[in-house]
Formats: sequence, structure tokens, C-alpha cells
Amino acid sequence: MGRLSRLRPDQVGEDIRSLFETFLRERGNIPNMFRTAAHRPEILSTMLAHFRAVMGPGTVPVALKEMLAVRVSRINSCDY
Amino acid sequence: MAKQFGVSDAALDGLKDPGRHPFPPEQKAAFLFADAMTDGPGHVPDPVYQEVRRHFSEAQVVEIACVVGLFNYFNRFNNALHVEVTLTDPDVIVRLVEEAGAVGIAVADFCDRVADILHQGRRYIRVGIYQRDKDRLVLRAWRGASSPPTSPGLGEGDAGVTGQSGVTRVAGPLLVVPVLVDGAVVGVIEVEGDRPAAIDEEDRPLVERVATVLAARLT
Repeated sequence: MGRLSRLRPDQVGEDIRSLFETFLRERGNIPNMFRTAAHRPEILSTMLAHFRAVMGPGTVPVALKEMLAVRVSRINSCDY
Repeated sequence: MAKQFGVSDAALDGLKDPGRHPFPPEQKAAFLFADAMTDGPGHVPDPVYQEVRRHFSEAQVVEIACVVGLFNYFNRFNNALHVEVTLTDPDVIVRLVEEAGAVGIAVADFCDRVADILHQGRRYIRVGIYQRDKDRLVLRAWRGASSPPTSPGLGEGDAGVTGQSGVTRVAGPLLVVPVLVDGAVVGVIEVEGDRPAAIDEEDRPLVERVATVLAARLT
């Protein structure tokens, strides 16, 4: 069990709800980390913007960035 | 997610120990940089940095350091707050299974795809899909570390017991669901979660719904 509650789409404001709906549409789930961070919507919205800026198309191939994320998560014993 | 961006299973497996996998030199340099940045206080020795810089521009090094930093942030947040791994929503799983079955796909391929969807979407460590052939079950798809019995008789083993009874069974992390057509068993789906209490209130109705979709193809 997570230590904090995870907010559902019906428990968040309109801005965050539309972000959640995008996740559901694009990947079939809303990551639990973001449902947890939704307790602080202002932080969550910039967290997501930063996540997209870092992990989206840029100057380094997206596949390499995904592999780096897997490698780091593995070292940290965190399932990604 | 990595697979969706073209990362192969072999590469994912290689990430357990990047030094021993034949990654291209620029990728290997990036992984060594990530390891150094992630271990302990994150000191990156000069030779490790220089090797990264030899392969990547300043902008690219910023981007790589941001990926490594971001995932250290996210991992620590998740570990500290015990945030659980995210599973795919049951409605989405059922929709994916329906879509996979809608395209005139062969039975074995369909079962394989369903096993994939359950294995990846719900993080089951074992998924077996069987089709009934008279008094035996024939394995059509399998995901998991151990190798399964390929053709258990009705009443034999986890799948065989449910194949005989026609009743869903939950035993610890194991969930075994019959595929029924007009009350008769035509197949069995068995899944196993990664810990004793892994099967929660979402899993049983989910796998039973998947069995209903599968039923139309296993007769």
C-alpha cells in the first residue's frame, strides 16, 4: 500500500483532470506517482511539464533516454 | 514504456549489467555516466564525463543529466512514499483484448497477444492460456520464468483443476479462471501475481471479462 492516498480524476480540479484524461488516453493508466502528487496540483502540473520536456523529443534519442530511465530506476530498486 | 520507443527485450535485459552487453560506445558512455551520477552522492569522475562529452554535444549532456536527475528524483519520491507500480486500467485491458481479437487473427496468435496484454498491463509474473481438447488442456500462450506443463489433463495441476470444475479459483497470488461457452469449459486462463496478496478486487472480474472475450475464439 502507498503511504499517501492517490487521487482519482473525480477528486481533482479541472486542470489536473484533463492531464489525467490525457494519460488514460495515451497509455491506459494514470501513473500512481502523479495521482499521489495531485495533492499539490501546482507542483504536479510543473512536474508533468518538466517530465515531458526532459523525456520528449529533444537532442538525444528518446530510446536512449528511456534506457537511462530504466537503468537509473534499476539502481534505485524502483520499478519503472 | 521503453518498449514503445523501440527498446528491444535484449537491450532491456542488458541494462542489468550494461558493461557486459554489446551496447554502442555512446550508449555505454551514457550508462556509465548515469551509474556514477546515481551512486552515492553522485560524483562523476573526469574520465567518465570526458567519455560522455566525446560522444555528445553540450546540449545533449544537459539532456542526459536531466534524465538521470529526473529519475533519481522520481525514484526517491516513489520509494520514500511507497508509491505502488501503476497497473493498466481493467477497462483498457478489456478494450485491448477486444481489439486484438477483432482483426481476423489466428487463435494461437490471439492467445499470445492476450498473454502479453495481461503480463505487461498487470505485471503478472505468470500468465498461461489453455484451450481444451477433449479431456486435456493444450497450452496456447505462456509468459513467465518457469516452463509450464504443456498439456495437463483435466484435474491435473492449477489449470487442470479449474478445467474440470469450471469454477474460478483464487489461491494466494494465483488466479485461475475458466473460459466458458454455454457453461462448458473451452479453455483456462491462469495468472500469478508477484506477491501473496497481489490478486485484488480488480483482478478477478478483469480476468473473467477477458475469458468472456476469449470464449468466442476458443470454441
